[in-house]
Formats: sequence, C-alpha cells, structure tokens
Amino acid sequence: MPFLKRRALLAGAAALPFLPRLARAASPLPAVAEKDAVIAFGHIGPVSDGGWSTTHHTGLLAAKKAYPAAKFLEVESIPVSADATRTFRQFVENGANMVFVSSEYGDLLSSVADDAPEVAFLECNGHHVSDNESWYYIQHWKVSYIIGVAAAKMSKSGKMGFVGSFPVPSVFGCANAFLLGARSVRPEATVQVILINSWFDPQAAAQAASALIQNGIDMIYTNLDDGSCLQVAAKAGIKCATWNTDMRAMGPDAYVTSLMLDWTQFYVDQIGARLAGRWAGDGHTLLPVGHGVDRDAWGRTVPPEVAAQADAVRTRIIGGWNPIQGEIRDATGKVRVPKGGSLDDIACYEWNWPVEGVVGLKAV
Amino acid sequence: MSVVSGLLSNALVSGAVLALAGLGELLAERVGVLNLGVEGLMALGAMSAVAAVSGTHDPAVGVLAALATGAAAGSLFAFATVVARASQVLCGMALTMGGMGLAATLGRPFAGQPSAATFPVLPIPLLDRLPVLGDALFRQSLPVYVAFLILPLFLHWLLFRTRHGLALRAIGENPAACDAVGMKVLPLRFAYVVLGAAISAGAGAYLTLGFVPSWSDGVTAGRGWIAVALVIFAGYRPWRIVAGALLFGFVGALGYLAQARDWGIPSAFLGMLPYLVTLLFMMLPALTGRGRVAAPAALGVAYYRDQR
Repeated sequence: MPFLKRRALLAGAAALPFLPRLARAASPLPAVAEKDAVIAFGHIGPVSDGGWSTTHHTGLLAAKKAYPAAKFLEVESIPVSADATRTFRQFVENGANMVFVSSEYGDLLSSVADDAPEVAFLECNGHHVSDNESWYYIQHWKVSYIIGVAAAKMSKSGKMGFVGSFPVPSVFGCANAFLLGARSVRPEATVQVILINSWFDPQAAAQAASALIQNGIDMIYTNLDDGSCLQVAAKAGIKCATWNTDMRAMGPDAYVTSLMLDWTQFYVDQIGARLAGRWAGDGHTLLPVGHGVDRDAWGRTVPPEVAAQADAVRTRIIGGWNPIQGEIRDATGKVRVPKGGSLDDIACYEWNWPVEGVVGLKAV
Repeated sequence: MSVVSGLLSNALVSGAVLALAGLGELLAERVGVLNLGVEGLMALGAMSAVAAVSGTHDPAVGVLAALATGAAAGSLFAFATVVARASQVLCGMALTMGGMGLAATLGRPFAGQPSAATFPVLPIPLLDRLPVLGDALFRQSLPVYVAFLILPLFLHWLLFRTRHGLALRAIGENPAACDAVGMKVLPLRFAYVVLGAAISAGAGAYLTLGFVPSWSDGVTAGRGWIAVALVIFAGYRPWRIVAGALLFGFVGALGYLAQARDWGIPSAFLGMLPYLVTLLFMMLPALTGRGRVAAPAALGVAYYRDQR
C-alpha cells in the first residue's frame, strides 16, 4: 500500500518557484524499427482502479494496437520509493526504448534516465527535463472551470465542496478553477475543501463527503481516483462531479459530469515519434481541452440550459480563450492576478495558493 | 441531520469495519493464535461479497459468500499454524499478501463498479424517533447493530459467562494444562481461528456492501492492521474493542468535520488524530492499574503435545 501516491512529491516541489528553462533544442534520439521497439509503462496504482491508472492503461492498449510489432512492458502499483528506481532500471535492462510513468517519481526516475541516454523517458505530472526526459500532463483547470459553471447553476445554496488528496498543485488548480467557473455565473459561490491525505481511500473519501453534506454543502467535486463521493452524494440526494472516467453508474441522478482523461492520441503520437527518430527530450506537454482532457457527457439530471451554458464556455476555451482571468484575489484577500491579467498554463500547472472563496486550503 | 447526529452516525458507520474485524481477530487470539492476516481476509470478504451480489442482488448472499471465503482462507491459515505449527507471524503476513493479491486478481471484473446490492437501513421502531440520537444510532444497517451490540454481547457472554468460554481462554493461556484435563486443544484452536477469520472477512462484506458500496483493489486501505492493533490495545475484551473502534471512528469523523467547518487545523494532523487519541484512551486502564489485561500467555506459541 503506497502511502505517498502520485503527485504527492509535488507538495515539496511546488514550494520552489518554477524556473522556465532556456530554449535549447535537444537532438532527437535515433529511430527504432517497430519490431525491435520495447515500450515500458510504469503505473502508480493498479490498472483495475477504474480511475487514473485505468485511463493510462487504456491509452497503452491503443498504442499496442497501433504498433502491433512492438513489445510492451507494463508494471502496476509502483510505490514512490527506491523500488521505483529498481523497476525503471529493469525496464532499461529489458531493452526499453521508451519509458512512460504515470506519476511524478522525480529523482527516482531521472537518476535512471541520466544513465540511459538512448532511452526516452516521459513523466506524467513531472517537472524534470533533460535531453532524454520530458513531462506531460493535462490542462485540468480549464475543465474544472467548465464544471464549476454547471455546478454553480445546479447548486441550491451556492455552498459547494471539494474532496481532494494532498495540498498539491493538482488540487489547488482543480478547486480554484472550479470556484472561478462557479463565480463567473454566481458571484457568492464558495468551495469548502477537505483533504484525505490519499489518492485512493474510499472509506476516507466517503466520510469526507458525508461531513461536507452534513454541513450544508449540496454540490461536491472530487479529483480522487474512486467514485465513493458520488455514491455518498447519491444517497444524500445531492450532486457530484468526479474525475478520470465516466462514473455515472455509481449514482446516475447525482452525476453531473466527470473530468475525462484520454491519453490515447498522446501515447500513439509519442511512440510514433520515437520510432521515426523524431522524439527529442527537454520538453513538456500540457494536453488541452478536447485533446486528452474534457468533460464527460452531462448527467441525466443536468438541465439542458445549464449544460448549454457550460458548453458555451467549453467552446470558447477550445477556441483559445483562457478562463483564468484577473482580477483574482487569494484567500487572504491579496490581489494575485491584477485586472486585465491572466494566469498562463504553466502558472496554473504550478498553482499553490487558494483563490478567495476556496476555504480549507492554505498556500504552500 | 444535526451536526452531532451526523458525527455519531459517521463514527458508527466507519467504526463498524474495525469493530467487526477486531472481534474476529479476538477469537483467534483468545485461543492463542495471532492472526496477522486480517487485512487479507477483509479484502477476500469484500471482493467475494461484491461478486456474490452481482449475480443474486441479495446482500445476505454476499455476507454468506464472504463468511465462507473467510472460513476457507482461515482453514488454510489454521492448518498451517495450528496443525503444521508453522510461524504464526509469517503465515499471517502470507495470508495478508496472498489474500489481497487473490482478491485483486479475482475482483477485476467488478473493480470500480457499484455493488449490485447494499444493506438496507433498518430503523428500530420508536427509538429512531429520539431527538439527535435516534437518527444516528437507530437508523443504521444490520451489520452496524451486529458490530456494536449483538456480536460483542454474544462474545462477552461466550467468553466470560460460559464454561466453554473458560475453556477457550484457558487454551490461550496454557494449552498443556488444558490438554492434560482432556480438552481438545488443537480442534478448538482450529475451529475458533476459522470462525474468527470468517467474521473478519464479514467486515470486508460490510465494507463493500454497506460503507463504500464498491469493490476496488486496496479498498481495505490498511484497516485490517488497525483492527489487529485495536485487539491488543483493548486488552482482548470484546466491549473495549468496539469502544475503541467507535472512538477511532468518532475522532476520524471529527477530523472531517473540522475540515468541513474550516477550523484551520492541518489535514495531516487531523489524519493522525484518531491513532493518537485511541492510543491514549487504550493506555488509560493500564496506567490507572485497573482492569489490567495481559495478552493470553500462549499467544503466538504453537502447541506440541509431546513437549508438554
């Protein structure tokens, strides 16, 4: 049972200001014939979790189909410990040309990458880059903003809740953008956050959701791996939006939508680039709305006019509009983004302070 | 639902997992067998309950499936530790790892899906109308009543009010003496280890058919280990085990309430609190010198008749 799950390490990393790297094109790694290629994938959790790890596994299955002659290695539930380094080293020893990992392993990965310059490394939600290492993630805050618009319209009280894991940027970004989306249509909306110190602990998630509901919250958003918040919400007759996959079966009447992950195209493209000799490290990718991350089809109790309003925002975002616009104050009332300014994608990826109206998170 | 009533209700719902798992473990430990496989038994019970209800849509069938799976796994453990006299610690660890792995593998078709059936709420007539307490205490599902009332009542009666219970406790203290007066040490040990394993697996069934009605790998999240610790801290007494489970659930629920009401306490500290408070409370009897209970003297020791 890994105590620290994915992105947990970010809590420490986020304390450092993000340093933009100087533009320096790394040279591409040499091409590999498909029949000789070995693609390795390390998962943070079990691929049967029905959430985060399942979405990566699905992407990998699509890649297998796209490159049938290549060999694929897959290891599940790799803890963030020295065990991870051993697993990644084994990937390299087994002839891997390309290694994906579904969570930030930091030095545990880069120490292996530095010893294997011919192997491409891709770290999900990572930070470290080198000539043969890049990171990738999703613009989840933009989808959270869209969900916030619909949620605020559906909430009766305007008091909404968020159940998250650790005080890491993924959680700040989600809760903040959810509130900003909500306030764009309902200026008095608030978001009360509960952290359960785990990415996967259905018992804790269920208790957290119950506590929120008993304190008058009638709309919950969660980025945890499982659907237990949705089940609790369904039982209590309130609404809930989730992450990762379509979870409506857990509570069809409570289900608003889900932040859906789809790594398929990204994995197929990256592997294709590696085989063709076009893959170079030293970069990062934040998959945009509509290409890797999106809202799920709206739940059956979402009124059509609410869905239409949220989808109008989605269309603007896909068209290039950045919803994270000033003026934005933090929870202490200090202006962090002036009027007319905005937070760019990297700033949102690194978000580590709560916006005004998000209660229960402290700036790190 | 008022805040107090919600708090109590959450404490009962989450504490019932620990209470059931702990009461199962109590039976094994009272006859002198340390079963560290509770986590694995819970996982097996949780998975088999979900698998059983997926076809039948009847929670009772799910419970029976969990009890049967627990008994089967418990028989294997009992054979290894009681009959073959292998190390109880190592076999318990093996049961935990094996049970979790097996449950994860067999449970794949059901992972991440809502359970097909759940325990209905069983309100106790009249009592459920009590202000504050009624909602919290008397509008629960059957397993919660079993965990906090029926099972501890029965086990207390069995262990401390019957001759058979005296024999069981004696076997945990001094199996050689029991053997000398003609008690069947190994069969009784075997039977109660199996029964305890079935109850611990039943805690898993409550987990996936009641508390969080869905199976996924890792859903037990270490609660089996807490149950083992609780039995030791509770001095091997049924009522103290359920009191400890309730306290653990209550402090946990209080932590989430503190976050929901934004009392400004860091979540990491609140996450630690149930362990700390339970530890302190369980130390009280020992510190005051009243009701001090040592572990069964033969706990963890295999019995060899020829070395008597």
